[in-house]
Amino acid sequence: MTDRTFANRTAIVGMATSDFRRLYREPDPERTAVGMAVDAVADAIADAGLTRADIDGFVYSSAANPPFSYQPAAFRLGFNDVRYMQMFTDGGRAFPAMLGHAAMAIMHGMARTIVLVHSIAFRTQGTRFGVQSRGGDLYDAAYGLASPGAHYAMSWSHYRARYGGRDEDMAAIPIAFRRHANLNPVAIMRDRPLDLGTYLAAPYLAKPFRLYDYCLVNDGAVAFVLTSAEHARDLPQPPVLVTSVAQQAALREQYTNEDFCFEALGRMKRDLFDDVGLGIGDVDTIQMYDNFPPPVVWGLEGLGLAPRGEGLQWIQDGRIELGGEMPMNTSGGMLSEAYLQSFNQHAEIVRQLRGQAGPRQVPDCRHALYYGLSTTPGASLFTRG
Amino acid sequence: MEQVLRPLPEIDAASRPFWEAAREHRFVLPRCRRCGHRWFPPYARCTRCLSPDREFVAASGRGRIWGVIEMSRPYIPAFAERLPYNVVLVELEEGPKMFSNVVGAPFERILVDAPVEVMFEDIDGQVTLPKFRLAERP
Repeated sequence: MTDRTFANRTAIVGMATSDFRRLYREPDPERTAVGMAVDAVADAIADAGLTRADIDGFVYSSAANPPFSYQPAAFRLGFNDVRYMQMFTDGGRAFPAMLGHAAMAIMHGMARTIVLVHSIAFRTQGTRFGVQSRGGDLYDAAYGLASPGAHYAMSWSHYRARYGGRDEDMAAIPIAFRRHANLNPVAIMRDRPLDLGTYLAAPYLAKPFRLYDYCLVNDGAVAFVLTSAEHARDLPQPPVLVTSVAQQAALREQYTNEDFCFEALGRMKRDLFDDVGLGIGDVDTIQMYDNFPPPVVWGLEGLGLAPRGEGLQWIQDGRIELGGEMPMNTSGGMLSEAYLQSFNQHAEIVRQLRGQAGPRQVPDCRHALYYGLSTTPGASLFTRG
Repeated sequence: MEQVLRPLPEIDAASRPFWEAAREHRFVLPRCRRCGHRWFPPYARCTRCLSPDREFVAASGRGRIWGVIEMSRPYIPAFAERLPYNVVLVELEEGPKMFSNVVGAPFERILVDAPVEVMFEDIDGQVTLPKFRLAERP
C-alpha cells in the first residue's frame, strides 16, 4: 500500500497522445508501435518543457503479441545513457504498477525524470481478439468460448440474474461515453453520435453483449514524463501529483471473479485512500478501464459509490456524464476515444487536473481516480498540484 | 481444401487423468490428499495448500449454471457452422467451475441457477468432452 511518505512526492509534468482519430481514418501499413511511441515521447518531453538530455529513465509498454523489446524505441530516442529501464508486457492495464515503480525509483534516487510510454498497432497488425485455433489449458475454446467479450458477457449474465437489469439500462454507459467522445477532437468516435435506438438495433456478438458494448481496436501511443514534485515546480505545466497507487489480484480462470471484484475493490480503496487523508467523496472524476461496460457498474459498487447490486440503476439519468454526480471517462474511454489500455484514461486525468480539458472540463477538478478490473485490478489517485 | 480443425483441450501430464476418465465417460476431479480441496482445471498441485499429493475421485456430475452466453460470431472457424451456440460456466456441486455447453435445450431455457448434470460427447478417437443437460429440479 502507499502511504504519506509516497503521497504527492512525484508528479506528471509532461503528456502527449497520438491523434487517435487521424490514425484510425488514415491506415498506413508501415505504421509501427515503435514509431508511434517515439513520436509520443518526443511530444511529451516538449510538453514538459524539457529536452532529451533531461531524461534519465525509460519505461516501455506494449501488448505482448507480437513479442517486443524496449530497445528499438530507445535507439530511436537516443536513450543510450538512461539509468532506469523497465518494460511491461501485460498491456497498458499495468499502468498503476508502472507508475508506482517509477515514482519509487525517483524517490530513491535511481532516476530524476522518467518517460513512460505505451504504444500499440493493433489495427495495422490486424489483431483480432479471441480468434484462436487451440483449445486452451482452461478448456474454454474447446467449448467454443473465445474473446474477452465472451468472458465478460458470461459474468454479466450472472450479475443480471442476481440483481436484474435490462439491455436498455446498460446502454446508458456506451451512450454516456460516446457523448464525451463527441467533445474530444482526437476521439475515434468524435463525430458518430450514439442513441438508444442505434444501440438496441445492433446485433448481439456474445449475448448479452451487443456491438456497442465492445471497446475499439486501434493504433496509438500515449507518453508521460514523471519527475519529483520539487522539480515539477520549476516546469511550465501545472503538476499532476501522484497521490497513491494500488493493485489487488482477484484472479480467476474465468476472467472476472464471482463477486465482480467487490472484495478486491474494497481492499484497493483502503490502500488508495486511508493513509493519505482522502476518501472516495473527494474524487471529482473517475477515468476507468472500459473494455466493456460492466466494470463501470462493478467499480461503482466496489468503491462504495453505489449500493451493492444497484450500480446499474445508479448510473442512469446522466449521473456518470459531464455535469453529473460523478463524471466518468470524460474523453470517451476505450469504448469511444481509443483503446490505449488505461493510458488514454490517464492522459485525460492529466488534462482534467491541469484544467486543459476544454469543453469536457470538470469544474474545479482537484482529485481524479483511475481504476481497472481487467484480471489484475489496479488503481491510481492523483491530486492537482 | 484446408481442413478446419476443431480446437481441442491442451492436455498435459497433470490433466491427463481427467481426460482419460472422460474418455471412459467417468467424471472425476483432483482431490488433495493433504487438505481435501478439489479444484479445476486439474493442475498438478493443490491450489489451496500447494501439495502435489493428489488423487482423482469420482464427482457427482451435478451442478448449476453460473453463467450463460450465446456466441454468434465465428471467432473459432471450426465452430462457424454451429452458430449461434451456447457456452455455460457450470458451478459443480463440489465447488469448482468449468466451461461447457448445454446440450438439447434452446438458449432461452438455459438460465442462471438451473440444475444440470453431466453427459459425454465423444469428439474423436482421442478426446471426449464432458457436457451438460438440464436436470429436473431435485
